[in-house]
Amino acid sequence: MKATATASEIAAAVKAGEIKARQVVAVALKRIEAHNPMVGAFTDVTVTRALEQADRVDDKLAAGIDPGPLAGVPFAVKNLFDIKGVVTRAGSRINRANPPAEHDATLIQRLEAAGAVLVGGLNMGEYAYDFTGENAHDGASRNPHALDHMSGGSSGGSAAAVAAGLVPLTLGSDTNGSIRVPASFCGLFGLKPTYGRLSRAHSFPFVASLDHLGPFARSARDLALAYDAMQGFDEADPAQSKRASEPTLARITHPVPGIRIAVADGYFTGDAETQAHVRHVARALDAAHTVRFPDVQAARAAAYLITMAEGAALHLDRLRDRPEDFDPEVRDRLLAGAMLPAVWVEKAQKLRRAWREKVLALFDGVDAILAPATPMKAPLLGQKTAKFGGVEMPLRPNIGIFTQPISFIGLPVAAVPVWLDGAELPMGVQVIAAPWRENICLRIAHQLEAAGVCRAPVARGFADD
Amino acid sequence: MTGPLDSGATDTMAYKPFDADLLIDASAPLLHLRIEPEFRAGIKLNLKTASKMAALVEQIRLADDTEPAPVYRP
Repeated sequence: MKATATASEIAAAVKAGEIKARQVVAVALKRIEAHNPMVGAFTDVTVTRALEQADRVDDKLAAGIDPGPLAGVPFAVKNLFDIKGVVTRAGSRINRANPPAEHDATLIQRLEAAGAVLVGGLNMGEYAYDFTGENAHDGASRNPHALDHMSGGSSGGSAAAVAAGLVPLTLGSDTNGSIRVPASFCGLFGLKPTYGRLSRAHSFPFVASLDHLGPFARSARDLALAYDAMQGFDEADPAQSKRASEPTLARITHPVPGIRIAVADGYFTGDAETQAHVRHVARALDAAHTVRFPDVQAARAAAYLITMAEGAALHLDRLRDRPEDFDPEVRDRLLAGAMLPAVWVEKAQKLRRAWREKVLALFDGVDAILAPATPMKAPLLGQKTAKFGGVEMPLRPNIGIFTQPISFIGLPVAAVPVWLDGAELPMGVQVIAAPWRENICLRIAHQLEAAGVCRAPVARGFADD
Repeated sequence: MTGPLDSGATDTMAYKPFDADLLIDASAPLLHLRIEPEFRAGIKLNLKTASKMAALVEQIRLADDTEPAPVYRP
């Protein structure tokens, strides 16, 4: 088996007795040690814990007990997930003074209960207020396809680790695009589920109204495998829905009969290069029709204000006591967020409700909508501005212009990776569905992968040792 | 008229232009925030962006009975 096998391949091989979980995990740990200095994906590697969990999986198999659908699959999590015994730094310097976490995040517990093996914590933009993958304290997580380019953020390490083939599966968080942006820049499949679908318990928050957690992988099947294992109600997350689990993997290869797929135009059109990536996917799906989201700029603006204000409220004490210890770009946005008039935020929350109703009406006519995930391919590390609609603008807050309106109302999205002929870097496309229709996002993602339209290869410099 | 941040002629006649320094100086003591000189330019830039975002939000007319999105469930 290749060292860069997918999660599904690993689990099948481990369950068939072709390889021990301990051997799989040892290879992953060796690859992390060898390659992480170049990509900056991992901030914590949990060697002892990983080998012990791998042994537990092997012991179960030896005793004839099924260790679960993710048997022996190494995975890692953005360092805002609590890992028992590890300090949850959330990309910050300040939180490093906190005591180690007493519990694993719920989603880690669920993946390990399904036989997966946690191998560590991953680099991220400070407090998740980031789209670049750069980190003022731990250094940037780099794009494995071009090391001088951004991985995207804020779940930059989560994307870099999978694109470099260090692990086949990672978890990240997405408040305004922090799964979909790095998936786009690093050429991965990423799933941002419906708001309230997966438990956020025991993870460090950012914006309670908008925070989601979800997986990255190199195949749609792996996303479904992880997503299914993580579903289920958890009363420790007050925003979680009590909706019953809806497994997706068993029917991922089934085409959706009569499916209607449209392309988002207007605000979501993007420049010529962006359009070419969306067209590549649209053509393969016979998505000839277009739909137009109404009032998108206002919706994105509302998400922007809610983010500033809720982020500021979360960090107010830290802004008072230790402002110098923040990444200055994060600090200044949060300080401004503390000063916003409350009526702006209340109006933004009302607009969220009103806009949801308008957008859900679009799904009366279509089952899925395609839109670009980012307005560009991965920019160079350190780049501060870029052209948007021909106008030079600050890069950092604008990378998420296409993702932010969609997470604003919590729609499920699979980001799918597109490599145009001869391209040095990929770009992602969002496959957006109505609430709770992750199955549609994943089936379309799988269909595109099976047809060779979307692919997520390990970066060339990181192929099997 | 949809709000004080609109750039329509009537509004600019009626309201003073937004001064981020005034907001910073008034709200920082209220919030017990210490604003060092090197923080100010970044905060001003972000407040100006926020004011543009608020103007976009205020352009959308909302019915009086529009519920805000988060609903507390006892």
